[in-house]
Formats: sequence, C-alpha cells, structure tokens
Amino acid sequence: MRNISYAEALGEAILEEMERDDTIFTYGEDVAKQGGIFGAYKSLLGKFPNRIFDTPISEEVIYGSALGAALVGMRPVVEFHFADFLFTGIQSITLQIEKIRYMTGGQGKLHLVLRGPDGVSNSAAAQHSESIETIFMHIPGIKIIIPSTPYDIKGLMKTALRSDDPIICFEHKSLYATKGEVPEEEYFIPLGKAEIKKEGKDITVVSMSRMVHESLRAAEELEKEGISLEVIDLRSLVPWDKETVIRSVQKTNRLIVAHETWRRAGWGAEIASTIQEEAFDFLDAPIARIGARNVPMPFNALMQNFVTPNKENIIIEAKKLLGR
Amino acid sequence: MYEIKMPKFGLTMDKGHIERWLKKEGEYINKGESLLEVSSDKISNEIISPISGFLLKIWGQEGEEYPVGQTIAIVGEKQELDQANKEVSEIKSKEIHLKQDYIKTDRDISKDSRIIASPSAKRLAREHHILLSQVQGSGPGGRITSEDILSFLNHHPKDNFKVEKLSGIRKTIIERLSQSFHQAITLTNITEVDFTQLKKQTKLNQVSITTGIIFVLSKILLNLKKFNSHFENEQLKEYNIVNIGLAVDTDRGLLVPVLKNAHLLDLKNIQEKIIDLSSRARTNQLNEGELYQSTFTITNLGMMRTDLFTPILNPPEVAILGIGRIIKKPCIVDEDKIAIREMAYLSLSYDHRIIDGADAARFLGVLAQSIEDPESLLMNNKGVE
Repeated sequence: MRNISYAEALGEAILEEMERDDTIFTYGEDVAKQGGIFGAYKSLLGKFPNRIFDTPISEEVIYGSALGAALVGMRPVVEFHFADFLFTGIQSITLQIEKIRYMTGGQGKLHLVLRGPDGVSNSAAAQHSESIETIFMHIPGIKIIIPSTPYDIKGLMKTALRSDDPIICFEHKSLYATKGEVPEEEYFIPLGKAEIKKEGKDITVVSMSRMVHESLRAAEELEKEGISLEVIDLRSLVPWDKETVIRSVQKTNRLIVAHETWRRAGWGAEIASTIQEEAFDFLDAPIARIGARNVPMPFNALMQNFVTPNKENIIIEAKKLLGR
Repeated sequence: MYEIKMPKFGLTMDKGHIERWLKKEGEYINKGESLLEVSSDKISNEIISPISGFLLKIWGQEGEEYPVGQTIAIVGEKQELDQANKEVSEIKSKEIHLKQDYIKTDRDISKDSRIIASPSAKRLAREHHILLSQVQGSGPGGRITSEDILSFLNHHPKDNFKVEKLSGIRKTIIERLSQSFHQAITLTNITEVDFTQLKKQTKLNQVSITTGIIFVLSKILLNLKKFNSHFENEQLKEYNIVNIGLAVDTDRGLLVPVLKNAHLLDLKNIQEKIIDLSSRARTNQLNEGELYQSTFTITNLGMMRTDLFTPILNPPEVAILGIGRIIKKPCIVDEDKIAIREMAYLSLSYDHRIIDGADAARFLGVLAQSIEDPESLLMNNKGVE
C-alpha cells in the first residue's frame, strides 16, 4: 500500500468530498496561499480557488460566518489556525454552534467542521501549545475527533464531512509530516469506534493523538521487561468507545489513561470514572491518569519537556501499577 | 412483639434443624402465612406465623440446629425494632445455639485486620469460594490482585466436590442404620418364589402386588410372632398387632411410614392406605406419628430391576423382607413340564441373636408357600372391623 503523510491524507479527504459535494468550502487564516501554517493544506494549493480562501485574523467572524453558512445548508470546513485561538471566538462555538440543533428542536441540521492543529511543538509557548479537547467534551453539542494516523484522519474526516452534526477535529502539530499507509480506494471510519493498536495482557493504555505513539513506544520498551501493554486509540472523544475499553480492562485488569492535555480534570478523569463505575469488579489497581503538569506551557525547551507527558511517564506509571 | 420459637413436633424431639426461611427480615407477614421450614430427625414442616406483623429479626440461621423453645425470630411492629434488637442481643449473651461446622467468612476475618485486595481479586475470590486471608498479595503494598487469585487456584486445584450439609432426615438414617449394623447380627435367607398366582389374584382384585404381599405377610406374622417383635434393652416384645413399615424412596432420603394394624385390613384398605402413605411421604406431608411403631418392615426394589439384595434391619425390629423383581422365567412344574412362571427373589434379613437360621427358613418357607398358593388366605379377604 502507498505511504502518504497525515497532511496529504487530510487534503485527500477534503478534496474528494469537495468534488462530490459542492456545498463544501473551506477557509481560515493562511490556508489558501500558504497551505496552512503547518502545511495541512499544502496538497490543496491552487485547487478550487473560490471554495478555498483566506480570511482576516478575526476568529469571531470566522466561526460566526461558518455558523451562518451551515444554517443555510452549506458545509463549511473551518481551520482554526491554533487550537488556542478557539478561545478568541469561543462564544460562537459554545453558545451557538453547540446549541442550535438542540434549541430548534432538531429542525435544522448543522453540518460544520472545525479543524486545526493543537498540541506542543518546539517552544511555541503558552498560547500556541494547548490541547483543549476536554473543554469541548465537557460542553454538550459537538462531536470530537482526534486522529493519530494518516489512515485515521482520512477516514474520520470523510465521515465528518457527511455528518449532520457540528464536529471538531484536533490535529497534533507533530503529526502532519508523519507518514502511514492509506489505501487508494475510498473508506470511512465511524465515530465512536476505537482501535486496539497493540494487544497486550497486563495494562490497558487508553490514549489519543500524539500520545498513542508515545504509548506504543512505551509498550515496545516494556515488552523487553516482560510487561505487556494493550494500547487503545479512542480516535473520537465524543462519542468515545466505552465498550472496547471495558472489554480490554476486563482482560488486563489495569488501566492507564494518557493524554497531552492537563492531567487535572482532563478527559482521562472522565474515562477513569466511567470505568470504575462500570468495570469496578475487574480492576486490580487504581486507574492511573497521565497528562501535562498543571501549568501554562513554558517557552524553555527543557521546561516544556518537563511539563509535557511522554513515553517515560507511561513506563513509570505502568511499573507502579504492577508494583515493580 | 412476638417471639417465634423452635417448635416441638413429637414427644422425642429436643432440637430442630432450620432448613430455610421463606420470608426475609423486614418483610410483612400475615397471620397463617408460612414463615420457615424446620426439620426434626423424623420429619420436616412449614412453620406458620401465629400473628401478623413485620419479621423484625431472624436469629436462627439456615442449616443450623437449635433446641426446642429457643427464640429463632421476632415478629412485631416496626417501632418495636429497637426492642427486638435488644432482645436478640440478650439471646446472644446467653447463647445456647448448637453451632455446627461453622465456616468463617472473609467478613469475620477482616473485622480484625483489613485485607487489601483489588476489586477484581475480590470478585474472583467470591466466584471461586476462596478466602482472601489464604492468599498472598503480590501487588504494591501487598495488595492481592486477580493474578494472585488465579495462581492460588492453580496451586490449590479447586475441590471437585461440594460439601453438603446433612439434612435432619439423613442424620436419622445414619444414626439408625449404624445402630442396626453395629448391634444386630444380621443374616439374610433368600428363596425364589413363584408369584404367578398372587399376581393373578391381585389383578382380579385390582390391587398391587405389594398390597397382596402385605396382606399375606400380615396373616403369617400374627402366627409367627417372633418375627413381629422389637428387641430393645435386653427385652423381646412380641406384638399382637401387625404394623408394617414401608420403605419409601423420597427426594429427601429414605422414609419408612407405617401401615398400622395391617392384619385387620382387607386388600382394598391396604391398597388405599399404602398409596396415601407413600404419596404423602414423597410430598413431605406425613405426621410424626405415622413414622413410628412399625413391627416389621418391607422394602421393594423390584420395580427398579434389582433381583436380589440383603436389607438391613430397622431397629428395634428383628426382621425385614426385601422383595426383588418379578420376572417371567422358564420353570419346571408338575411332572417335569416346562412352563412360564412369574418369579422373584424374597430376602429375609433377621437378627440372628433372636432368630435362628432354621426359624428364618421356616418363616420364608411359609411365606413362599402362601404367595404361591394364596387362595386359601385370599378367600378370607376381609378386614376385621
């Protein structure tokens, strides 16, 4: 099978759907001329000049206009430039986009995709490094996908572009250049379906995005010490695949939830709480949560690495759970 | 407030065995509703609530024995609960509860020292009936994990049997058969008997073969009284009445209801009474009195295709008759002809201390003859009123 990058896979998904459905159009800051600040739209340069365009730096206008377009039946795909900047236009999302289907009694559909980069990169500091998916998980009304591979982003994005609900997609900055197998033929990945990336028997590790790769690295190292991790990529956070996680915990009896966003009240707490409610009798150890330390992201590279979770945190927690 | 006490079913009953509670603590019960099942060494009965009210406290545990008169539960109004609790703690303080192979549970043990075990380990321990206190924990801080339980199971293969608590009836059977086996000197004489005639006659009278045998046997026992006797405390009592014990196979074990004054009954009466007794034995509806005072016992395994067996005495009786399967066989009859006859083995077990071998042979001979030629006896088929 051919290998393409995460960014290329994303571009393919959008292009294929734009060719099929002429209500789809996409815009944001520096997308049309530059191809996105992290190159997400590089493969779209020069395509559909009227349906791929740049906007001024005004998130209120970007998200608000997407809402309006979606309300009249268009399918806007909006890039939010940095996940951190969702906050600058947050009321359009949390007060309007997330509520409108509910408040109209479901009379209208709202097909709208917000997508863009999140997560830590080289010394991007406190305002350009955040992962804020938990906030959108907390407030009801929007679905969340967080693909970790080229294959997943293409399959999930194509599903999102045919959905009737608003969907937000977080793409980790470090993933755009990563390559992976993507089939030529068309495929879709349903929302709410996790993938077991690696089977194991001692501890289940639930993660998403960049932390899936950290978990797989940790699993590889621990394997040498006779500790077997089962790594699950949730792929979508709303809805999340409870059944797959419970089934895995019933097998391994231990759970680590690992995410890059802050540990305090991060979505790992929601997973942990659900599992102790529904699979209490299968637990051999407290559920461990791994997340960023509870501070804004430092600029200093050393400090950035200290605050951000990685495979080492997973290895330490895994050993702790097993009493090693 | 009303105390439910261990009842007394019969004169000889001094303790009762709680089989099961039919109501739960806190439940409301109406007067006359069944509250629990109690068995004595003879019989089991449902105990009926004498009043209406809430079942405030259950003190008597299922599977345990308590002396007659011991309070086993308290029924009353809800506001009397505190008082009931006080009452129960008083009973506890002067406990005369006959504890039997009481099994300690994890809960009892963890009162003293908390066992650290994961929820998964606890679930597995529950499912496999393992005491957590026996398992070594390997997790952080000595926590017992599911792996510890599984490895414990590997090293201590699960019992492939289950310990059954003996019912009151089974305990009686054990006691009486042991007594019989260790005290009496039991011998068995066996003969093959031609049932063709008796079968024909009983069919004519529309009664069972067993009825026919009891009828014939009762007449003989009246004449050969030594076989219709009790030997107890160095004393032989020969009875002038014939009470036939009928060994009945029930779900709860062997029961021997007694057909009283069998010698006074005609075929039809015997038939009706034995059907009634055996069916009530199977449905646990016999009265205590119906299980006592047999003078001779019969046991029939023929219908389950046993041909020959050596019964054991039902003390203090001195003889018991075993009846085998009746089956058609080629037989040599008068003047060396071969004919098809309905044959069966009779086994007479007797206490050799009381009955000599020749006496037993004579008894069996008379019985065989009467069965083979029952007409003279059956002509007088009438009960004595």
